[in-house]
Amino acid sequence: MATILAGYLRNIFEAAATTFEGMAVTCSHFIRKPVTVQYPDRTDMRVQDTLPYRYRGILEVDLEICTGCLACERACPIDCIVIDAVKDKQTKAMMLHRFDIDIAKCMFCGLCSEPCPTGAIHHTPEFEGADYSLESLVRRFVKEPVAAYKPKKVEDDPAIVPILERGMRYIDEFAAPEGKPGEERKTEAA
Amino acid sequence: MSLAGFEVEVEQVGRNGLETEEMTLNMGPQHPSTHGVLRFVVKADGEVMREAIPDVGYLHRSIEKIAEKVGYHGFMPYTDRVDYVAAMFCNQGWAMVCEKLAGIEVPKRGEYCRVIAAEFNRIASHLLSIGTMVLDIGAITPFFHAFREREKINDLLEELCGARLTYNYMRIGGVAWDLPPGFVEKASAFLDRFEPLIDEYNDLISLNKIYVGRCANVAVISAEDAINYNLVGPNLRASGVRYDVRRDEPYSVYPEIEFDVPVGTGEIGCVGDSFARYWVRIQEIRESIKILRQCFKQMPDGPVIAKVPRKFKPPAGDAYVRVESARGDMGWYAVSDGTEYPYRCKVRTGSFAAMSIIDKVSRGLMLADLVTVIASLDIVAPEVDR
Amino acid sequence: MQEFLDGLIAQGYLAAVPAEIVYALGIVVAAAIVIFGFVLVVAGVTTFIERRVWARIQSRVGPNRVGPQGTLQWLADGIKLLMKEDLIPAAADPRLFKLAPYVVTMGFVAAFVVVPFSGALVVADLNVGILYLTAVTSLVVVGILMAGWASNNKWSLIGGIRAAAQIISYEIPAALSIFPIVLIAGTLSMQGIIRQQGWFPTDWFVFHSPFTFMAFFILFTALLAEGNRTPFDLPEAESELVAGFVTEYTGSRYLFFFLVEWGNLYIISAVLVTLYLGGWQVPPITDHPVLRNLLQFLTFFLKSYLGVVIAMWIRATLPRIRVDQLMTTCWKYLVPLAFFNFLGTAVWVVIWPQGSRVVEYLMTALGFGVLAYFFHRVAFHLRRSRAELLLSPFA
Repeated sequence: MATILAGYLRNIFEAAATTFEGMAVTCSHFIRKPVTVQYPDRTDMRVQDTLPYRYRGILEVDLEICTGCLACERACPIDCIVIDAVKDKQTKAMMLHRFDIDIAKCMFCGLCSEPCPTGAIHHTPEFEGADYSLESLVRRFVKEPVAAYKPKKVEDDPAIVPILERGMRYIDEFAAPEGKPGEERKTEAA
Repeated sequence: MSLAGFEVEVEQVGRNGLETEEMTLNMGPQHPSTHGVLRFVVKADGEVMREAIPDVGYLHRSIEKIAEKVGYHGFMPYTDRVDYVAAMFCNQGWAMVCEKLAGIEVPKRGEYCRVIAAEFNRIASHLLSIGTMVLDIGAITPFFHAFREREKINDLLEELCGARLTYNYMRIGGVAWDLPPGFVEKASAFLDRFEPLIDEYNDLISLNKIYVGRCANVAVISAEDAINYNLVGPNLRASGVRYDVRRDEPYSVYPEIEFDVPVGTGEIGCVGDSFARYWVRIQEIRESIKILRQCFKQMPDGPVIAKVPRKFKPPAGDAYVRVESARGDMGWYAVSDGTEYPYRCKVRTGSFAAMSIIDKVSRGLMLADLVTVIASLDIVAPEVDR
Repeated sequence: MQEFLDGLIAQGYLAAVPAEIVYALGIVVAAAIVIFGFVLVVAGVTTFIERRVWARIQSRVGPNRVGPQGTLQWLADGIKLLMKEDLIPAAADPRLFKLAPYVVTMGFVAAFVVVPFSGALVVADLNVGILYLTAVTSLVVVGILMAGWASNNKWSLIGGIRAAAQIISYEIPAALSIFPIVLIAGTLSMQGIIRQQGWFPTDWFVFHSPFTFMAFFILFTALLAEGNRTPFDLPEAESELVAGFVTEYTGSRYLFFFLVEWGNLYIISAVLVTLYLGGWQVPPITDHPVLRNLLQFLTFFLKSYLGVVIAMWIRATLPRIRVDQLMTTCWKYLVPLAFFNFLGTAVWVVIWPQGSRVVEYLMTALGFGVLAYFFHRVAFHLRRSRAELLLSPFA
């Protein structure tokens, strides 16, 4: 009898005590700062500028350094990259007639930017791609046929150097297997 | 007298000349609390359920068939979608099965990177699981608190690999990116801030009498039933079976890391009830924090990926690997016929098996408990249907 | 209200009209003012305040775009609901389906007749005030059952039946917790009960004796259950029954249920404040009738709105109780405790008819001690989480 009464009273006390504790936790939240980022108009800076370097946003192609190797087209699992690279019979140069990326199909996996030798195709921090028509989602990067880039030992064209540097920096982020130069990474201080 | 659980003699239909009918309810594919698109046909006698028949397939995307078309490398982003809540484990499973087929060894630092990413993902997945479980039971704030922390983990992983949910971080032979500079500091700072918040979460909801009353002694699954019905992961461990793939069939660098495997003890409620499954997940979050701290200290220098040809053609044969995903033992099976494209890929997920025990365990429970059961078994629809 | 009309008749303004018609019209006009000027606005604004309160508890911001700081959000929601298509399910019972929202609203609005906003502002100070309130709020059950049944939807039916069982069961501890106050005050009239209390917390009935202290919490719990609020919101359990008995309702019909749920919070709070927390009693600062009534109105409104905020806060904190546990709580815990309090108060009133000042001061000290311990725990949680603070309610 006494144990039943003790159990009964303990139930009541526990219910009150745990409710009390729970309410203390929620009360402490009343004066905490909300974590909401009030996008798009009440943010401190553009959200695109706060994203990390490796962010896999909408793809972009720097045609100046595209070598026409078609590695990205082969790597894409969804076949959303379509490239027309034709060797011109007269000049013997590789001409790019078409470089279309269908971002409606793209799943932003990053498999295309990995094998690019110069970093021409890369992800940008842009994520606002919504539009009213499906056709606008096919990004056509070639306006008129251009010659593909021929990689040189040391690049000296001043127009190409900054683009190439940015591209190489992008692909340097990717891990390289042993045996390739420049792959040793120092460990961070724990 | 106790507010936890209930013992009621279920009235026989037709007793005292009172004719009653069973209701057939449809907890349809669109429902606020089935985790994803799952459908249950529930035969209920008033509030008490007689049968709960699951109906799956609403989220089937033929992912396993797609593997045969896109090849080994190209399949990696698809594995994210097999269980998008705990995508790193799926990546790891596929990478490991390809490495086993071709006999590739992953460098040490690559393995550590994998474990770090995986354990962060485990914490994120468990946060989602416990958040949605308390939401289904009626408490609306702990859900937001859990997701607030999950967002911070997503920010960390975004810095690491560029995406917040479908990471595509791992590659055959290692990982795609090394840890960025400053990552370890940020991650350690996050872990220091996060650990006391687990205690706050427990104070708010886990130890709340109403919550314990809803979960304790509900849907008790005995160890024998758990093994017979193929339950894995926290579901199995909550029933008392101390089986963890990281401990019992170790892979990657887990043998070098010290951590406990939490098991349901029946302190609150009993062994194998819904509360035990919930509590095991909370304890696993703490274990993951321990693992992460050790990884940050022990990580060696070196490359993070092995040399793997672009046209990956493993020798003909098959391989099966297990990873301890957030939802349990996830099995990856691949059959290769010597070409670039796998002949067959099969995934065995913990949620699919967990669906089968719902009918058995919900006989005699009330309608409100069905939601508790589904949530405590941590069933996510993409894993069930693939 | 009565005195005001008597005054008008005595001054000869409405001599041509028989007195009964004057009273009847007066009550109708007053009720209309209360309903359209007060009830609807408060119910609407409560939805907005609830969302902001929840948002801060959940570390987010809440609606802050429509109007300054989002204060017109409730208008936008109301207009949106009014513009929605009016669907009646094909197999539903059309007459019951259409009638249910009105029955529920009747039960809710009729309760405002006896709510004492200040010393002179009450539509009708019935001498059976609190009994009338308890009786009339039971109309809501009829409406909910009608809604659940007429929707021809098994989930709605379950929601409606659960609601009926819940509300009917929790009437008992609610009534039993009102009795101690009636015993102490000696009257059922709401104004009478308030006039027996004072403005200082020790004169409030909640600190009158340990029995009334316990009865206060039991009444709070029982009234939350009456209003279908978490932790007792099983009838509209979002995660189980989609929306319970209101699943099939759209547009303006849904608006009625919506308003009743949130307005009911105010009634719950008003009842608690009237019976236990001193009502509109204010310190005797001024003698000017208008100022005094204004002060009393503000006091009553702020006290009852604090109760509303606490009910929202509880909803954000606690999970839902399952239906059998709900019944266990009511019949095995609340009812015996309420009886115990009732008998205890009866004995107390015999021994100390005027109340015991010592006990009152002790109970006040106990109450404030519990409050102080509460804030101590809040400070502990803030320290442990090392969170960033934002003291302003505007984010």
